[in-house]
Amino acid sequence: MADLGATVIKIEGCTRFDWFRSWEASQEWIDNNGAEKAINFIYVNRNKLDVTLDFEQQAGRKLLLKLIGKADAVIENYSGGVMPKLKLDYEVLSKINSKLVMVSMPAFGSTGPWSTFRAYGSTVEQAAGLPHLQGSEQQPPTMLHVAFGDAIAGLYGTAALLTALFHKKNTGQGQFVDLSQSECLLPSAIHGVLHQSVKGQPPERQSNRRSDHLIHGVFPCRGDNKWLLIQVMSETEWRKMVKEISDLKSFEGLGYNELRSEFSNIEKVLSGWTKQGDARSLMEKLRSVGIKATVLNEIADLMEEPHLVAREYMQFVERAFVGSQPHPSSPWRIAESPLAVKHSAPTLGQHNREVLCDILGLPDDELASLEEKGIIGNKPKLANFNK
Amino acid sequence: MVNLEPHDGFLTRKVEPFLSNGNSAMHGYLHANKESVVVGESLLEHPAIRKADLVLIDPSTLSDSISLDNFNVNVCVISWFGLNGPYSDYEGSSEAIFALTGIMGMLGESDGQPIIPTGFHPQILGGLSAFNGALSYLLEQIKDPASAVEKPKFCIDASIFEANMCLTDLGALSSYNGEPPHKRLGINRFFPTYPLGIWPCRDGWLGVTVLSPSQWGSFCELLGLQELALNPKYGISANRLDDVEIIEPQILEALSRHSAEDLFYRGQKMRIPMARVPTMGELFDVDQYVHRKAFSTIVDGDIRYKVPSIPFRLYDTPPKFGGDVSDLGANNGLWNGLSEDTAERNLKGSMVSELPLQGMNNY
Repeated sequence: MADLGATVIKIEGCTRFDWFRSWEASQEWIDNNGAEKAINFIYVNRNKLDVTLDFEQQAGRKLLLKLIGKADAVIENYSGGVMPKLKLDYEVLSKINSKLVMVSMPAFGSTGPWSTFRAYGSTVEQAAGLPHLQGSEQQPPTMLHVAFGDAIAGLYGTAALLTALFHKKNTGQGQFVDLSQSECLLPSAIHGVLHQSVKGQPPERQSNRRSDHLIHGVFPCRGDNKWLLIQVMSETEWRKMVKEISDLKSFEGLGYNELRSEFSNIEKVLSGWTKQGDARSLMEKLRSVGIKATVLNEIADLMEEPHLVAREYMQFVERAFVGSQPHPSSPWRIAESPLAVKHSAPTLGQHNREVLCDILGLPDDELASLEEKGIIGNKPKLANFNK
Repeated sequence: MVNLEPHDGFLTRKVEPFLSNGNSAMHGYLHANKESVVVGESLLEHPAIRKADLVLIDPSTLSDSISLDNFNVNVCVISWFGLNGPYSDYEGSSEAIFALTGIMGMLGESDGQPIIPTGFHPQILGGLSAFNGALSYLLEQIKDPASAVEKPKFCIDASIFEANMCLTDLGALSSYNGEPPHKRLGINRFFPTYPLGIWPCRDGWLGVTVLSPSQWGSFCELLGLQELALNPKYGISANRLDDVEIIEPQILEALSRHSAEDLFYRGQKMRIPMARVPTMGELFDVDQYVHRKAFSTIVDGDIRYKVPSIPFRLYDTPPKFGGDVSDLGANNGLWNGLSEDTAERNLKGSMVSELPLQGMNNY
């Protein structure tokens, strides 16, 4: 939303700073300005403003409530129960701002027996049962990602917020929106959910093969850990394949069912062929004749991914303490070039003056007093609750 | 929401699993509560398009005679790779997106071949991102409903590939900044921490993620492995990952003595991020999901089946949970051959006033 021009203000504390700055903070890390060098933090906070406020102190709380009084919306992802404990739940906030939209997105939602439970993006993937649909029957339930739920819940959170803002724009009414991060992962398991619901059993874990494809697998290519995904569904595609790869000629005359019974042999021959070639060249060669072949990028390759480079997906923007940094673009655009990243992620408390004085009307000289009391600041502090 | 379908229907009508009446359950999940209209050659002149707030387009389904420039309405084009760039003409698939984003290369045994993920997840992310982009621009258009100045129409280019980059961007940026490249470490094993994974207990699978020093201490206490917690080296998550061959056998042995359900509840009390990993058969009965009505019912004729509900609850204007599926062309009579005025009346008449996106076709 900040990419599109919304004023998004991130509220941190000097002791309770964003975990993406570090979850293992130390004095050495503070002294080395580690909080400002964390790529994790820089990556997800572009175009936002940053304010530090210790709202466990009365003066900090007052400022927070004043800010919320002027806001269109508040979005938070504490564990369930934290906001009510801080007396910052919707019941309280809506008395300050009757048109407020508030989106709360705890891991398991704000209601139910697990509402106070804790989770990461990995935990919510696990809780959605998704790992039971990956890999083969011989493997344990297989996770897809280190933090699958984080990005997905964020996108659903934006969708929820925009929907509520749309309603507010038309009617003037704010409201509370409760989002469960683990439920955000259930649609990703839809193929399993439907199979279970309709057929009374889960789909078979087929490893890399697919029952509706003639060829479906990853094949080794020249070099270390280089792979090509090949997906051939129809007999038409298969014929194109045989025409292009002479090694497959011995299977040329076979019908659909015979081909399926030759799966293993075909895969063996195909592997022998792909091993001789460069993965990207093979992708281009097979794609040029209408075969769905796709190179498996390694994470380190992504900065040079030709399609992303051509679409200017990464934008380089200066950032204090770390210099020029690549910033991913929004996944949609209205012109050939992506929406510009106007500024990189803020430093801790970078916009204290701008927000507290310009937006809330606080006199400039009060900032020093707030800093003295530890309510605002620009440097992290260690706390004994660093959990 | 009006689906303008070709004579043989959307491709989603051919996606498994199928109901006993031959209809696709997947299509029902994706298209419940929408109208279905069969449209032929005169797509651009169709009243539903001419009066729409927004037209969602898969460019691969447009005939050569129709250009995006011909749509004189707001358009959101959702494609695998976007409208320009070297892959823009490539046929996509969810698996291809997993391959290109680098996710697939990270899955599987370190010395084996990568695992191809199942499901439609990349398309879900693509759709969600497009929704967010399109709704943002629609909001801009109603900023000043009283204004006589007509806001310019927009055309959004939404790329499914780029929508899925949010899952691996961070790794790319880390590599750019000189961190060691992320490699495939094994099933359920990921940088930067350990324990992170899914392990068998006495009676089921438990998912665990331990990141901070205090979580590590609590996890060791939960499993009776306090000696591990005393080693200062293991206070750092990456160090535990380095010594996984030493730590894992002890964890596996301890977990095998406990019930997953019991550990889950006790672990959560100790603030350890943990989850039971339910099978598809168990999923519908998970107490949290039952309590929150996380699954709702789709009705297709006499057949009912469960699907995930919308994962967010708008308290004052709750979205409709579940719903009915329109047969192909079920709403032809409502639309085909109508004048624009009648079409507009249909749009207004089809609105349910309590729902949050009311007015999407009425401002």
